Parts: sequence; structure tokens; C-alpha cells
Amino acid sequence: MPQNILTVSELKKHFGGVRALDGVSFSLTRGETHALVGENGAGKSTLIKTLSGAFPFDSGDIVLDDAPYRPDSPHEAKARGLQVVHQEFNLLNHLSVAENISIEAMPRTRFGILDRAEMNRRARAALDAIGLGDIDVRATVQSLGIAHRQLVEIARALQSDSSILILDEPTATLTERETKRLFDIVADIKSRGVTVVFVTHHLNEVFAICDRVTIFRNGKTIATEVIAETTPAAVVRHMVGRELATERNTYQNRDISGKCALSTHNLKVASNPHPEGLDIAVHYGEIVGIAGLVGAGRTEFLRGIFAADPIVSGHLARNGTPMVFRSPRDAISAGIAFVTEDRKEEGLILDMPISANVSLANMASVSGHGLMRFGLERQRAEDHRAKLQIKCGSVSDAASSMSGGNQQKVVLAKWLARTPEVLILDEPTRGVDVGAKAEIYGILRKLAQEGAGLLIVSSELPELMTLCDRILVMANHRIVGSVSRDDFTEEHILKLAYGQNGTEEGTIA
Amino acid sequence: MKFYNIVASAATALSLLAAPAIAEDKPVVGLVMKSLANEFFQNMLEGAEAHAAERGDYELRAVGMQNETDFESQINAVENFITQGVDAIVIAPADSKAMVRPIKKAIAAGITVVNFDVSLDADAKKEQGLELAFVGPDNRGGAKMAGDALAQALGEGAKVVIIEGNPGADNATQRRLGFEDSVAEYKLDLLDSRTAHWETEEANQVFSTMLTAHPDLQGVMAANDSMAIGVVKALENAGRDDILVVGFDNVPAVGPMIEDGRMLATVDQFGQKMAADAIDLALEVVAGGPELEGWVKTNIELVTKK
Amino acid sequence: MTTETRMLSAPSRRAVSVRAIINNAGIGLALLALILFFSLASEFFLTANNITNILTQITINLILAVGMTFVILIGGIDLSVGSVMAFAAVVAGKAITLPGLGVVELIALACVAGLLTGLISGLLNGVISAYWGLPSFIITLGMLNIARGAALHVSDAQTIYSFPFAFEEFGSALIYGVPVVFLVALLITLLAWFVLNWTVFGRLLYGIGNNEEAVRLAGHHVFWLKVAAFTICGFTAGIAAIIYMARLSISSPIAGIGFELNAIAAVIIGGTSLAGGRGSVIGTLLGAFIIGVLANGLILIGLNDFMRQMITGVVIIVAVILDHYRAKYSAT
Repeated sequence: MPQNILTVSELKKHFGGVRALDGVSFSLTRGETHALVGENGAGKSTLIKTLSGAFPFDSGDIVLDDAPYRPDSPHEAKARGLQVVHQEFNLLNHLSVAENISIEAMPRTRFGILDRAEMNRRARAALDAIGLGDIDVRATVQSLGIAHRQLVEIARALQSDSSILILDEPTATLTERETKRLFDIVADIKSRGVTVVFVTHHLNEVFAICDRVTIFRNGKTIATEVIAETTPAAVVRHMVGRELATERNTYQNRDISGKCALSTHNLKVASNPHPEGLDIAVHYGEIVGIAGLVGAGRTEFLRGIFAADPIVSGHLARNGTPMVFRSPRDAISAGIAFVTEDRKEEGLILDMPISANVSLANMASVSGHGLMRFGLERQRAEDHRAKLQIKCGSVSDAASSMSGGNQQKVVLAKWLARTPEVLILDEPTRGVDVGAKAEIYGILRKLAQEGAGLLIVSSELPELMTLCDRILVMANHRIVGSVSRDDFTEEHILKLAYGQNGTEEGTIA
Repeated sequence: MKFYNIVASAATALSLLAAPAIAEDKPVVGLVMKSLANEFFQNMLEGAEAHAAERGDYELRAVGMQNETDFESQINAVENFITQGVDAIVIAPADSKAMVRPIKKAIAAGITVVNFDVSLDADAKKEQGLELAFVGPDNRGGAKMAGDALAQALGEGAKVVIIEGNPGADNATQRRLGFEDSVAEYKLDLLDSRTAHWETEEANQVFSTMLTAHPDLQGVMAANDSMAIGVVKALENAGRDDILVVGFDNVPAVGPMIEDGRMLATVDQFGQKMAADAIDLALEVVAGGPELEGWVKTNIELVTKK
Repeated sequence: MTTETRMLSAPSRRAVSVRAIINNAGIGLALLALILFFSLASEFFLTANNITNILTQITINLILAVGMTFVILIGGIDLSVGSVMAFAAVVAGKAITLPGLGVVELIALACVAGLLTGLISGLLNGVISAYWGLPSFIITLGMLNIARGAALHVSDAQTIYSFPFAFEEFGSALIYGVPVVFLVALLITLLAWFVLNWTVFGRLLYGIGNNEEAVRLAGHHVFWLKVAAFTICGFTAGIAAIIYMARLSISSPIAGIGFELNAIAAVIIGGTSLAGGRGSVIGTLLGAFIIGVLANGLILIGLNDFMRQMITGVVIIVAVILDHYRAKYSAT
């Protein structure tokens, strides 16, 4: 029986009436890689913040290294050997990598001034320790890619002798290759006896690198399983508390011979290097997906259609009638809605009530003569809350109080309030947990059944394959292939995306 | 065509640069003013310009400033005038200490300098070994004239307040001292003394509050007329016509107030003529007259109801 | 339909006001504490005359600060209001002293001229900063100089005076000891409160302050909304100019120097966030009262000018620190 380094029993934490942690128990053994999974809002973030000393817990016990543990500050947590790499980076973008790594204890010369050489030496050692020989310690953090920033954070966390390293959704912004590298580093850390706690939404990652997994639901720990003895389906069952139907099989083929809802002809955005632009067509009742690698120009194309960014040349037609959109307002009046990639920056007004967010794109429906009708607004929000199963305390709570999945549902509600004929979605389930994901798929499918045309960009192929009638594959700002439902295989689509299609598949819809 | 333009503009620029050096017989006078946002100096400048047009035997180059305390642009102006080789510089210093050094430089360059409006600081002059006459009004004496008029109207022991100008400004200090001279001489009871930064609105607010604190006050000495106007409006609002007000500067807006008795008196230092008079004195020296010495006091006059 | 709406409105209306009360409670308590302190320290403070004085004294700052609240709510700033007020006053002063017109025509003309001057200055601030996406700090700093220069130019740096008697009457009129000019300021404050809390326009201004891009992508004319906020601010500077003239019976081109900073201080003390998106005009009203009460009370207790200035500075800093904590608590 391996020795427990950390034991948490019956931990509780309430915020007002909200039970963020409602009986959390689990343990970590020395040197293991332990995954924490659960839907957003299940209590993982609160647990991490409690462990790292960001806020105190109400009741329960934590034992760390055979001694009681109740940290008052992040500083104390670090002193006890517990380090957290947060989802939001805590790096100072304008400072160098070395300065960031040494920020907590800047080395000084005996004259009390900053010892730059020593600082760079320490940073070099910290980076080399996790195999990051290719990062220049004098480069500013902002000159690094997202993945490297993540790794610098890990290097910083590891330079002090930590016994427990908590990684909070480290792969959310990483590409597959970068994720691979992170896993190598985690394996290396583990081999040095460090316990790694891995918080993620991606079960394949859990099964790739973890030894055990603890599942959270509604502020409670439901189960801890040994990875070798369980299956992803079993873990999901614990997470959502029910069996998720395998989506693809229940998919019904619909009649999508409707009219063309939206089409583009030679539509070119500023970042597109090809003068001929892009041609696509979306029919009523059809769900069209766009697959492709990051940087293929998918987001830019969607923003061009919606006039969120100006288009350089080309045409766009609704119901076959050519249209010119000068601003998103024009696109919206033409019955188009756009769920953006980044809901925090572009989709929601986080500090404003949920009801205000729901009505944002359709103020006319909750006002008369320019005056707000708060009762009506509230009622509309309640309707959407019920229809989309949005989980929140009250529709007058701030949007920021909800989990990612529910936030995304509010974004959808905002657009559904307009009953759009064409719905464009960019990464509709990014940062959304498994349960909410399934619910969102249901909503989108229902929309298509009701006759709307949907255009979806996603980096998750299974998502597109689940939802779409047709998938367009983009590479380097060109559509390199169109795959219909019967031909959906990951291999086929990825080959197109990587430009390895030997056949003449490049027909364009 | 383009080339011609370049040549032409270069030639113009050269001739502009050269102009002071080869100016015809007419002497050139550089006039350095304070803030032209202040109507007192604006009027003074207009007076000087009219004077130059009338005399016609000298060339006037005038420079103003952004605001009351912007002495850097005054230093720049003096240095530019030295470079241009003007015959005389007539200056109203924005800072009585900071301007000593550049003026000394101008004198060393053989330029006749006349200091008017505000005197350069005596100690600073001594330290720099500079001897320079001052042409200007006696702010302290003028303030005392106004103060005395108030005291005589109210009688000994009357309760008064002072509304001061900008703290640190030389004329504000001199006027306050002049008012205080009157207070001492007539044994007045000085209840309060506060700044309103030369400003009507602020004087209105500050004074109405002072009036609340001292409802029995009888007289107000304001260091300029803008502030006196604010005081008069505060008295009107409070429905008090038993309190006497004196000001300083004799701006046009107070004319009607003195006529209908809302103000007792103000002091005219003939600002419009002051710069012109200083220029006359400077031209006399340039023409070979004797150097000025000491304090050449300009005319001041108490203005009361006719 | 209407009755249903009204019934449903009731709880959320209450929710709005309850939240406003909680948010403003701290600043209201601070104001009460100041009033209590000065009442004990000076026998004159709570007299009818002094209250009339205070109300008169905060009028102009309150009007400017209400306009400023709109701009700060969308994450901007307007440094030009003091100069614009002077410019508007000079233009209105020129109009009101035109020869050969009846009193009513003159006053009407002056009001229109002054208000238009303010409105156009604000419109320019808004159009320029919103069109090119430039920081309003810089654009309005430019406007500060333009308007001041224009005021001096138009007036030839001379104070304009001798206004119609009826106009001056308005400036000093009282209703039950309350200055009419203050009632005007209060009316403007209530109107602004209504606009910000009860109209779609107000809602979108808060939205822009929080997340401009989300508002734009939801199909709203962010450009015109921002321009409107700046235009309102300029317009209030025009109103302040008319009030200034009525109160003091002069138009001075050097009026209002530094007034923008007092207005910003009132807004910030009132709890509106400089980052935009959070705050209220009710807070601004209380902030203007705090500044006014402080200026008045400190003179009454005989504190000298320099100490007075220092204490005002301390109060601004303390207010921002308190606001920092308030924001923190309301966030958790």
C-alpha cells in the first residue's frame, strides 16, 4: 500500500447559500498522477483554490505529510510544497522568462541590486530540468506561444522543491503536439517522485497519463477509480450521474433538400492570402461543419461572414439574394446569429445579469419606446433558462457566476431569442463539460430540425462528426475537401486537413 | 516649380532670420507679457500695440504666455530676443526669481532691459550682481488705498475679511500686505483671510461660506475685481446690502457696480498704459538717455462713485 | 399585457433599487458622518442659509459630474468639460449681450447658443475618439485646449457682463430656501438616473463599459452609443455654463479651470469605476455632496486654505480605497 501524501476528508465550503464543496474526500499517494474530473461547477476549481490557500474551508480535514494542513495564503501552501499552475496564467507578459521564474525571490548581489546573471542561471536550470532547452530565458513572455507560457509556469512551480504539483486544465489551449510534450514532462516529473494532480475535461488525456481518477459531481466526490480498472464510459457515468446515449447512433437523417440559406462566393478576408476567397453553401435544415487545423483561417472566415471584421472582396447571399453587411447589425437583421469562439471576451457581459445577457441581441423584445421592461426581460430569461436547462441561482445573478457550460447556453439563448435562420458557431463547446456538451448538441440539432441552417467550426472532430450533415475541411485558408456524412471517418478528414489527400477529393460544396 | 518653391521659402526663412540684424533704423522692442488669458494683460498688450502704431518710430515684438505660472516660455522668449538682437526688452516677469538670470544675460548682450509690472526679487538680483530699475505700480500702496477707503467708510474696529489672490504670486502677496496695512492703521477686526485663486466662481463660494461663519462682517477686501464680482453676487443672493466691498484692477465689469453702490471702490493701475509707458522709458535709454534707477512708480488711482 | 408587465416589473424594480442602496450605502454613511461632524463642530453648518449655500455651491459640479458619469461608465474620460463650460459661457454671453433684442429672445438665444456649443464640443470628442478608437484622455485633453483657446479668442480675453435682470433673477431664485439652479441640477440627475437604469440606451452604455466587443457583435451601434455618451457630457457642460452665467452675471473666458477634476472626483467618490461598466448617478450625487460639504464645512471650522486642499485630496484617495474593497466584496 503506497503511502498517502495528502488526505482530504469531508471537506465543505459554502459561499452564501451555494455549496461549492459539499463533502469532498480523496487521497493522493506519493508519486502518482491523479486526475480530477467533473462537469464545470462540480467543485474542482474551489477545491484547488482551497488547497492552494486562496480561501479557507468551512469544515473537514486535510492532512499533508502526516500533519494537519489549513493554509491561510498561497505563500503557506508553497512553503508546504504544494504548487498550482492555474488555468489563467499568472505570468507578467512584459518581463523576461527569467524574471518571471524568479519573481517570488529575486536573487540579489551583496550590494542589494538585482543579480541578473544568477537570475538567468536559475531560470536556465529550471527550464533545463523539464527539458525546455529551446527557450531563451531573456525573451519576454509575450514573445512565447501559449504552450511555452504554460511550460514556463510549470518550470516556475517546480523550481522550489514541491512535492505536489496541481495542473488546472493545462491542455485547454495546447495543440496535440504541445500536449504530447507536456505529457512527457509530466512523466518526467512523476519519475522524480512528485505527485501530479491533473484537472481536465478530456478523458482521453486522463486515460493516457493518469494512475487514478477522482470524479466530482455537485460539490461532492463520487468515486475514485484506478485507471487500469475502469473505462471512459464508466467515468462519464459517474460525472453526469446517468448514461449518455452514444450520440452518433441516435442521429436521424433529415431532409436537407431545403433552399440555400447562406452562400458565399469568392469571399475573402484580410488574413486570406488567396485572391479567390472561399465558396460555401448552407441549406435550411442543414448542419455544415468546418474542420481544419488551428490557423487554417476558419475563425477569420466566420467573422467575415458576420461582418465582425471587414471582408476584402467577394459576395455573400441569403436565400440566393446578394447582400452586403457593413456591420454585425446588418448580418443580424438578415437573420444570422454568431456564437463566437471566446465567450468571455466576445460573447458575454460577465458582470451583468444573466437576463441582461439573454436579451442583449434582442433588446426590442424586452423594451418599448426605448424603455426597458424588466418584467418581460426576466420572463424571457426564465423561458430560456427552462428551455435550455440553464443551471443558475437566479437569472438576475451575474453571468460570471455560472460554469462554462451554462455560460455557453446563455450565449446560445441570446441568439435563440432572435430565432435566427442561420446560426454560425465557432467552437461551440470549448471549455464545456461532458453533460452540458450533450445538451448543447441536442439544442443545435433541434434548431436544424426546425429548419435553421447551421455552420459550425470546431477543433474536435468527434463533435463535428456527431453533429454535421457535411464537413468542409479547411487548410491554409482554402477549402480542401467536402465530406458527406456517409464518408465520415477521423482518418479521412485529418488526411485532408494535413494536406495528405492523394485523391481528387477537393470538390467544393 | 517645386524647386522654385523650395528656394523661395528658404530665401524667406533666411531673410526672416536676418531681418533683426539688418533692421532699418527703427529700434526693435521685445515685449514679454504674462498670461494673455488674463484680461488685464490682454488690455495691456492692446495698449502697447496701439502705442506702437501711434508712435511709429519703433518695431514691437510681443510674446505672451499660456498661463500665469508658465515662466519657462518667458525664459525662452528672452533668449530668442537676445538671438534676434533686439534693442530693448520690456518684461513683466512671471517669476520674480527665475527671470533674473536670463535678464542678466540680455543686459550682458548689450540690450536695454526694463522690468515692469512685477519687480524682480531684490535678493536674487543682489546674488546675481544685477542692478535693474523697476517700472510699475505700487500694488501694496494701491491695496492700501482701497483698504483705507473701506476703513474710512466703516470706521475704526469694523469687521472685515480679505479674499486673496493666488498664494505665492508676488502681486497677490503685495495686495494682501496693503490690505493688512489698512487693517493695522485703522485697527480693523480682520475675521478671516482666504484665497479664491483670482476666480469669480471660487470667490463666490468661499465668500458665501465666510459670510455664514461671520454674519456680522462689515467689509470685504478682494485682491482683484473678478473675485469682487463673485463677492457681490454672494451678497445679492444672501440679500445683504449692508456690507461694503472693495476690489482692485478696475475691470469694465465693475463700473456699473461702483455706480450703483454694490461696490465701494476699486484701484486703477492703468494697465493699458503700463506697458506703453515702460516702452517709452526703454526707448529713451536706447536713444542715449540716462539709465533708469530704483523704482519708477507708475500712476495708480482710487476709483469710487463719481 | 401592460398590467402583466407592470406586475412582473415590481420585484425587479425593487431588486434594482435595493442593489443601488447597498452599493451607495457606504458613501451615504460617509456623507452622514461628515454632516454630523460639521454640525457638531460649527453652529452655522446646519442653518438654513448655509444649506442653501451648499446646494448652490455643488450645483455646477453636480451637473458636470452627471455628464461625466456617462463617459466614465463607457470606460472613457472627458477632461475638457471645464474649458467647454467656459467656451459655452462666452458664446452664450456674446449672444445675451447682443443689442436690439427683447429680454425673452436674448435669454432664449443665449441658452440655445450655450447648449449647442457644449453639445457640439462633446459630439466632436465622441466622434473623434470613437471613430479612430483613440483614448478619450488624449482627445479631450486636446479639446480642453481648443475650447479654452476658443473661449479666449471669442471674448478677446474680456469678461462679458451686464446681462438681463430676469436672467440673474433665475440664478438667485429660491423655492423654500432651495436654489432653483440646484433643482435644475437635481432634475438633470434624476433624468440621468432614469436614462441609465430604465432605457435600452442606458443598459447598452453599461454593456459597453463591461464588454464593448460583445455589445458590438450583438448588433448594436457602439460608435453612436459612445458618441452619445460624450455628447451628453458636452451638453451638461453647456447647461453648467448657463447656470454659471445666471449665478454670477458674468461670462469669464477663464472660468472653470480645473472643474473637470472636481467632476471626475465626484464621480469616483460616488463609486463609479474608472474602468467603466459599474456605477450610478446616485453615487455621483452623493460624491458631489461630499465634495461640497467638505469645502463648506472646512471653511466654517476655520481650517486654512492649504490644509483644506490637503484634506480634499485625502478624501479622494480614501474614497477610491473604499471602492476597491466594495468591488472586491460584491464580486465574491
